[in-house]
Amino acid sequence: MTMMDQFEVECFEEIGRDFYRQITETVLLDHNLTSVVTKLRIFIDPRLPIFVAVGTIRDAGGSIRVSDIGSVQTQGDSTIISIRDETHLAKFLTRLYEIFGHEHIDQPDRFTVVISGIEIPKGFEQLEVVNRADTVFRDLIYAMTVIAPEGFKVRRESYGRDQFFYVASENTLPEHVVEDIVVGQFAQIGEELR
Amino acid sequence: MILIPITYKGGVYRHDEVVDYIEDLGGYIVQKHDIAQEIVLQALIPKDDVERFRDFIRPLAGEVTESPLVGTEIAVVIPSLEIHHLPHSACDIAEYLRTVGAKTNMIGLARGFGKRISQLNDEERDVINEHDLAIYVLGNFETCIEQKFNVLRRGIRVPIILTGAPPVDALKRITDPPAAGYVGNLGRFMHRTRTDADIGRLDAVIEEVSHVLSGIRDELAQDPLSISPARLMEVIKEGVPDIDSVYSPTPLTVQLTGLRVKLPFTRYADQIRSLVVEEGILVGDIAEIRPSRMRDYILVQIKPFSETHIVV
Repeated sequence: MTMMDQFEVECFEEIGRDFYRQITETVLLDHNLTSVVTKLRIFIDPRLPIFVAVGTIRDAGGSIRVSDIGSVQTQGDSTIISIRDETHLAKFLTRLYEIFGHEHIDQPDRFTVVISGIEIPKGFEQLEVVNRADTVFRDLIYAMTVIAPEGFKVRRESYGRDQFFYVASENTLPEHVVEDIVVGQFAQIGEELR
Repeated sequence: MILIPITYKGGVYRHDEVVDYIEDLGGYIVQKHDIAQEIVLQALIPKDDVERFRDFIRPLAGEVTESPLVGTEIAVVIPSLEIHHLPHSACDIAEYLRTVGAKTNMIGLARGFGKRISQLNDEERDVINEHDLAIYVLGNFETCIEQKFNVLRRGIRVPIILTGAPPVDALKRITDPPAAGYVGNLGRFMHRTRTDADIGRLDAVIEEVSHVLSGIRDELAQDPLSISPARLMEVIKEGVPDIDSVYSPTPLTVQLTGLRVKLPFTRYADQIRSLVVEEGILVGDIAEIRPSRMRDYILVQIKPFSETHIVV
């Protein structure tokens, strides 16, 4: 947890607070998020009851492009892509089907994709396949769902360019109340809700 | 004859002699596990013969330990078994109790989560009441436990051991009427129990369970059962051969005051009722046979001596 610049858990019950600090550390570590989150503040009030998590993240690494997935070679009227990294292959194939259509795409073996009978647009190698920031935020919100107490089914979550917040309760809370709490929590870590 | 619950661990070689010896002593085997080359027997043997049994198994390099929870069925109750919150600390509690011989069932409540919204339905209540004891594994906040514990214990007649993150003193303070036992510092956490501190907390659960169960056994001794549950298990095993074709690890689960028979009630209840225990005494005379709320199992509740005036 030393990788985070700031990490706080606030709750008026000391023992509960310490347990939730431990839970947060375990969950972020399990989801490989400790190197991504820079600031995290969790506020829990079991009397209301409410669970609020606000934080900021580092640059998650940006886009994964075709050139990151494999090398592109043209042979006659076919383009052969030799896959180096399979991690995003499923998403990559989906993108290819969208752009070129199923009839022009073939995968003869696990590490080879062939595009045939269609012209490849210029700058194809720089085409964005996945934006890593989307996945990181999704993972982060999932991790917050795991950390939050059981039964807090009424949730509100949001993420922007480098900020996120997650609010959960078992009661429906008016929007302005949630907003005030979130703004207040961001202020505690020296940030402004954008 | 006072029977002591024990666990025997030893090799496969000549283990049939160990089984015969336990039966010759007048003991009962409650459960038998074959784990590769190892045999684990959970049994009840006469108190006076424990040393004799130790001498018998010495040449076989077996090991005997006293397991106070053998012959008990314990419910580990948890507000929810939600996938987001795995692993649940209750999983480790249930597993650890099994190592000392208890048969544990995890009961994840359908609507047990939350503070204001937590509920216990009639099926859950009845299933919990079919056990010898219930362990309520609640969370980390005193405020929540104080409010929801009374809701989750409504209608529960079996002794309850309450666990939660607040210390024992705090748990005692917030529960009214008091529970049968308390284990503090054991709330919701998201890791498997591996450290010494974690194992220490699980040991505290075992200690509390043993303490509460010995209290129940003392009470039972005041008005003994008409038949020992282990002996009744043998009677059913011999009289209903179909029990051998049940795939469950414990087709006959021994409890403190009865048995759970994992056969359909409608087809087998009358057959069990009419089994002969001894000349002129049928199972139906000394025990109540009723349907269990757990699947379509049969629950056998042994009547006390004061009710039947029979002890076999």
